[in-house]
Amino acid sequence: MMLRAGIIGMTIATALSAAPPSVRQITNDGLLKQRPNWSPDGQHVVFARHRGSTIFLFVRNIVTGNEERLTMPETPEFDAVFAPDGKSLLFTFDKVSPGQGDMEVHRITWMERTPTPMAISRKGLSHEESPAWSPTGKRFAFSSTYQGNQEIYAADIDGEEWMRLTDDVATDAHPAWSPDGKTIAFATSRWGNFEIALMDPDGGNLRRFTSSFGLDDYPCWSPDGKLLAWVSNRDGNLEIYVQDTAGSQPPRNVTENAAIDNFPAWTPDGRLSLISDRGDGFELYVTERPFSP
Amino acid sequence: MLRIGQLLTGDCQRLTRRELIRAGALSAVGVSLADALRAQARSPEAAPAKSVILLWLWGGPSHLDTFDLKPNAPVQYRGPYSPIPTTVPGVEICELLPQLSKRAHTYSLLRSLRGTSNDHGIAGTIGLTGSSNGAASLSGQVLPGAVEPTHGSIVSKILGASTGMPRFMTLGGHLHQGKRAITGEGGAALGPMHDPFRLDYHPDTGLELPHLTLADGLTPSGIDARGKLQLRLDQLARGVDRSPNMARLDEYYQQAFSLLTDPAARNVFDLDREPEPLRRRYGKYRFGQCCLLARRLVEAGAKFVQVNWSSHVEPVEDSGDGGWDMHDRYFQQYQDRHAWMLDRALSALLDDLRERGLLSETVVVAVGEFGRTPKINNKAGRDHWEHVYSGLVAGGGLQAGKVIGASDRLGEYPATAAFTSADLFATVLGQLGITTTSLTTNNLLPQGNRIEDLIG
Repeated sequence: MMLRAGIIGMTIATALSAAPPSVRQITNDGLLKQRPNWSPDGQHVVFARHRGSTIFLFVRNIVTGNEERLTMPETPEFDAVFAPDGKSLLFTFDKVSPGQGDMEVHRITWMERTPTPMAISRKGLSHEESPAWSPTGKRFAFSSTYQGNQEIYAADIDGEEWMRLTDDVATDAHPAWSPDGKTIAFATSRWGNFEIALMDPDGGNLRRFTSSFGLDDYPCWSPDGKLLAWVSNRDGNLEIYVQDTAGSQPPRNVTENAAIDNFPAWTPDGRLSLISDRGDGFELYVTERPFSP
Repeated sequence: MLRIGQLLTGDCQRLTRRELIRAGALSAVGVSLADALRAQARSPEAAPAKSVILLWLWGGPSHLDTFDLKPNAPVQYRGPYSPIPTTVPGVEICELLPQLSKRAHTYSLLRSLRGTSNDHGIAGTIGLTGSSNGAASLSGQVLPGAVEPTHGSIVSKILGASTGMPRFMTLGGHLHQGKRAITGEGGAALGPMHDPFRLDYHPDTGLELPHLTLADGLTPSGIDARGKLQLRLDQLARGVDRSPNMARLDEYYQQAFSLLTDPAARNVFDLDREPEPLRRRYGKYRFGQCCLLARRLVEAGAKFVQVNWSSHVEPVEDSGDGGWDMHDRYFQQYQDRHAWMLDRALSALLDDLRERGLLSETVVVAVGEFGRTPKINNKAGRDHWEHVYSGLVAGGGLQAGKVIGASDRLGEYPATAAFTSADLFATVLGQLGITTTSLTTNNLLPQGNRIEDLIG
């Protein structure tokens, strides 16, 4: 069944106060997968799959179930994200300088599959990774270690004019640009363990979004910008939490499963996908219904 | 379904499973596994432990992000993870190890292990033999002295030669730093018959015999699946007296064929015989399933099973196969993979051994060759740190629920008496009844001193 088929005219939604939503299993190979991301039309999902000593990006057609490698290099690649227009993707490419990793953010066109370096090492073996598009597709945020600590940066889509958005001796990671373009969520350890923070696209107006005993990481915005999902181990196990971005309600554990639930990602119609090993190995799951605040 | 992998030769040519089984049926196998299982181990009667499972965390885990967190240290040291309480009052470990936190009463932590080298090759040799003799550094420099036998080989030697089920088994390939294999993984002067019998398990391919290497000039390149193998084996057998390496070849072949042709042995290796929920508890990834296989091997009579976390120190992102040597992006990789893989597999192993009544007679050790720099480097990673690190020890009559030793405020140096890996394994082997006397009787140099607080 097409994922998109249930989108139009949809009237049923999963409320944040309801029981854990039912989910549908998408993949079926058991191998570890990381950081799914959905195409704007909901037809494809891209994710990194670990097999042996490889980490490769795969694109899965939700309608046919067919999968293909996004690129063909034999070096590790991960963290792919579709552009807002769906015509290209940003991803983290591992150059693997002799015997050592060297991450860069590359862009690949959807049709021609031609990769282009976007954010490359400016100093030594710095790591540029975890790209996140702005909603206009004209800029992207990412993390980099080139100035001696892992910080969040933003750049124009040509990869030039880097702007450093964070400046703290702690670790800042995993930026996510809000659909209205006004806010970037990210994970930071500046207050202890990882918490979710929000800031303006120029790095200003930093504020703390989560405050829990456990770690909070991998923030992602719902398509309408009203909800934020992330992974947390605040109950002693990795679970997916969702909260309205206004913070009017407490965060809700929407997985409540003894398995590892990680790497949340929204579908264009407001369903929530995740990677979980609740079955026979790690698989991609998606909720049957969209969420509502 | 049991899937036996390929028999790899020195030039990476392969014998298929069908060839192996046919060869096994044709060969003289010697004592069967069933016989071996009935045989009584010749371990000292009073020894509290009968076997050891060593989880070798190759590459060097960070002590500050596993078992010795420093939440009050500056952010450049403490890292992005918080400590969580455990079942032992006052003892805390990393929040990414929640299952192990619930089992702290079943193991003890050593927080003042100290090494003498920050080179994987040298520290690895020290960790596995108690001595730097013959160790090879990253640059290729070989330290003086003859390589000492590794702990498992000593167990194999003193507790008796293998009959059917090898006494010393390693799950995983040869350990490497870069492209250089380290020394100290085998029997050394004890002879190749006390080298580990290697197995491996991959979820994709099942059980494998990854490094069954033939002697020079004896690669079975001309062997096909049409019946020439017996002839070739006969030729090989005639070479036994002419080549010292043939003894090893013969030993390996006999073990391999015995294991492959003995139904009882095949059962031991068949993880599909385990209940699916148990396999999931271990985790259906290589390390998890290897820990389960280690339990089955110990249950079947193996005396020392070493599970290598990886063959290479480097993580996949650095051209490795998932090791702990994460100079870059340590936290990213540790959080996404290493932490829960270790947490789940080790917790399941402890539970499984206890539920089967085996934990009291099986020593479980989880340790790497060193720790990592307390101060986070400029690549969101941690570098090598030999001055202090941590290890976990459980079972086999050793003390549980204790923290032995401590590091200083920043996790840089021991704050209490320090222990070496030689001390750790002197303690472990002591639980098997292997004493200074039994070592010297076998012309082995005793290494280290037993850790009295761990013995209780």
